[in-house]
Amino acid sequence: MLVIGAGGAGMRAAIEAAAAGARVNVVCKSLLGKAHTVMAEGGIAAALGNVDPDDNWQVHFQDTMRGGQLINNWRMAELHARESPDRVYELETYGAIFDRTPDGRILQRAFGAHTYRRLCHVGDRTGLEMIRSLQDRIVQLGIEVHMEVTLTRLLKDGDRVVGAFGYNRIDGRFVAFRSKAVIMATGGWGRIYKVTSNSWEGTGDGVAMGFDAGAEVLDPEMVQFHPTGMVWPPGVRGILVTEAVRGEGGYLTNSEGKRFMLEYDPKKKELSSRDVVARSIYKEVQAGRGTEHGGANLDVRHLGAEKIKKKLPSMYEQFLKLADVDITKAPMEVAPTIHYAMGGLRVEAETGATTVPGLYAAGEAAAGLHGANRLGGNSLSDLLVFGKRAGAAAGAYVRDVGLGKIDERQVTEEQRIVLLPLSADGTENTYLLQQQLQQAMQDGAGLAREEKSLKTCLDRILELRQRAARIHVPGSRKYNPGWHTARDLRFMLTIAEAIVRAAIERRESRGAHWRLDYLEKDPALGRVNFIAYNDGGHVKLKTRPVPEMPAELAKLFVEPGSPSPASTPPAATPPKAQQVRT
Amino acid sequence: MSSAPIVLQIFRGDADSTGGEQRFEVPSVEGMVVLDAVHYVQANFANDLACRWNCKAAKCGSCSAEINGRPRLMCKTRVDEFVGEIHVGPMRAFPLIKDLVTDVSWNYEVNKQIPGFAPAANEPVPYRMLPEDTERVYEYRKCIECFLCQDVCHVLRNHDDKSAYYGPRYMVRIAALEMHPLDTQTRTGLLHGKAGIGMCNITKCCQEVCPEHIKITDNAIIPLKERTATDVYDPVARIARKLLPSRAGQPAESPDGLAGATPPQRFAVKDVIRLKTRGRRFARVANVLPDGKLQVWILHMNGKVQHWDGPKIVRTSDVTNNYGPLDEVGIGGKLVEQYITEDHAAEQHG
Repeated sequence: MLVIGAGGAGMRAAIEAAAAGARVNVVCKSLLGKAHTVMAEGGIAAALGNVDPDDNWQVHFQDTMRGGQLINNWRMAELHARESPDRVYELETYGAIFDRTPDGRILQRAFGAHTYRRLCHVGDRTGLEMIRSLQDRIVQLGIEVHMEVTLTRLLKDGDRVVGAFGYNRIDGRFVAFRSKAVIMATGGWGRIYKVTSNSWEGTGDGVAMGFDAGAEVLDPEMVQFHPTGMVWPPGVRGILVTEAVRGEGGYLTNSEGKRFMLEYDPKKKELSSRDVVARSIYKEVQAGRGTEHGGANLDVRHLGAEKIKKKLPSMYEQFLKLADVDITKAPMEVAPTIHYAMGGLRVEAETGATTVPGLYAAGEAAAGLHGANRLGGNSLSDLLVFGKRAGAAAGAYVRDVGLGKIDERQVTEEQRIVLLPLSADGTENTYLLQQQLQQAMQDGAGLAREEKSLKTCLDRILELRQRAARIHVPGSRKYNPGWHTARDLRFMLTIAEAIVRAAIERRESRGAHWRLDYLEKDPALGRVNFIAYNDGGHVKLKTRPVPEMPAELAKLFVEPGSPSPASTPPAATPPKAQQVRT
Repeated sequence: MSSAPIVLQIFRGDADSTGGEQRFEVPSVEGMVVLDAVHYVQANFANDLACRWNCKAAKCGSCSAEINGRPRLMCKTRVDEFVGEIHVGPMRAFPLIKDLVTDVSWNYEVNKQIPGFAPAANEPVPYRMLPEDTERVYEYRKCIECFLCQDVCHVLRNHDDKSAYYGPRYMVRIAALEMHPLDTQTRTGLLHGKAGIGMCNITKCCQEVCPEHIKITDNAIIPLKERTATDVYDPVARIARKLLPSRAGQPAESPDGLAGATPPQRFAVKDVIRLKTRGRRFARVANVLPDGKLQVWILHMNGKVQHWDGPKIVRTSDVTNNYGPLDEVGIGGKLVEQYITEDHAAEQHG
């Protein structure tokens, strides 16, 4: 079996598949342990009830569904809420150590839109703890990891995925894997935007490869802005400032010193859901109340230097080193940054199986759990819960099937595509095209969207797609990042097109998708998910009904005296459109 | 404040060619880090310039390089720190692949040789660990595996002797495992043997370059040296045997005293232990009495408030070790220290 990606989901899947007796190969683009999971700072959401004993999976389930504006896959949300506590405890058996309560249990902190204190954490480096524990486990189990290998195409035998093809980044040699099943755990696509908290790896490879192989891409228009990214200096723009800053009690002020979240969401304040906080900051800046470099101030000074250094050590270090700001003495300047893709490959809730036989997906590369907006901390638990499920299901699948046949023609064709930029007749610079795509997406399909800007953006993507065929990269196949970027760019263009096409069609504001020309929610669109699929090389769109909740879960969302949770609020107070009152 | 352009001298070359520095001029931007400058070069002048990077926020440890001769993370090094040209080269302790990229696979091979976390098979899940016992492990677990400490370690770098010593990174990893409150494995045999902890002579270069500010030498290597000394040569047990001749139920010491043999159950002042009675309460050793019994403080939780009840006298057969001795060993600590000093004097001669 082949697992593509060695972040949280990929490693958890590999561990589970190996436990099921499969021979597992893991492939990752970077060195092991560098995946984007390390960037997760705040924590992992699981209803352990260690700090707030009233917490339980039903409340977590409701929070997740409400955060996702009810276009989530309810079954995924249910499994996630039920199973994440066990996955967290399991992680400690691999050697992880979370922060603790005085009596020795796992400590939990408050986070945006979680009803109770629910996030298990280790200071502000939870992701590192998680990835290192999983990495150690992988090493302990002797699972084979191929580092610095990029896969670019799934190989099919008829309908079925039977392997993958790509190249070794170090020497540029081609590699092909013949496997009974493939698990995509390739993460998201933040790199399509200019201001992002994502690393170079977040180019959407896995989802685009799945798309090319015929899998359905669900909810591509739902791209999350994290409300607090660094703003200044320019070099650090977009780098994440963890939500734990607000979880620990930090608050946001505008240039007039006013704590504006009291107005936009009096109940949850700074700990409202991410879409609401990001939009609030955006509106303050638009209204001329932004900070010097176009953001808001995030203040933790009242917590005291000692608590800041203990609970937020890497934030303290990050601002001191990179921005010359001592956060115990001055506020942080923050603005929204692209953070997470709620969309991804459409999967079956229980197994992570995509619509293509032999292809599974888990983590950010899969979609459905988070709906229109992800809650902070739900991503790490997503990786563990659905990583394990995909690993187990694929492990069972490979017991029943034989190896497929590798089609030489597919391999030859992909070789030709991959080698194209190295041949001498192109003129375009791959990095500059990438920058232009990022700029186009930032301008046209960013936080605030409207029909006109989206259509312009689509035109620019289609034009860039033409120009991408004429990329030329100097040098050899030996560790050549320019050459690597050229192939990544094709994936990014596919995903960008899917995002924009779906964003045009969703003519409403819901969760992370905010349309200036349709400020309200449309109940009809609240009943469907958009799906992008491959039709002879073109991105086509269709809708699917949102899976209907069984009655016993649905009744959790009916409140006495209110006819429908999707009732439309007055247009003058847009933030309310994102809430369903509890 | 855009001023004069920044001049970078970046090493270009690969394993097959000699290589050398190439000069680039990059426009200066406020707050720029070296990685920004390298990216600018990559996008505008040399698309094929090889470098590793991921998070750009000093959390992943990918962009290690030598900047003006000093091992550092490119993402965390501001260009306005320097006057004049900035020289950027690959880590020199590892074989060159191309430009700023080196072959660090040796580190991953070493990692595979270290026995992983091994809790007791009957340890109840979810785990209970006290905050004061977990806190010291956090320092080791902060490591982002940038391998700068490996790069600067004179054993690995100058003598190029990778067969004799695992290097600072893996001392930190072993320390994390050894100090884990619930780990049961002993790795001192490995430390004394293949891991080569004796090769380190405490020059502290590794801890100077650590971007996570882990006190590698002070808090990982030295305590591990102490532990190794205790387990391998066992002066503590020798003294303890003289002082406490009546310690019951202790198996005869194995003649070699090396890893593999089960270490005898020993208790020292400040050890965290667990009572065998129902509830397996935590307790802390206040004193080891001459008759071998322990004077302990027992932990009771009143809501979220800790309450230490005691001192109570218990027999060693009524308690279990939660894990090994803490940072300062109550008995024979001085002897160990003395031994270490001597050991180092001996090694430097050899």
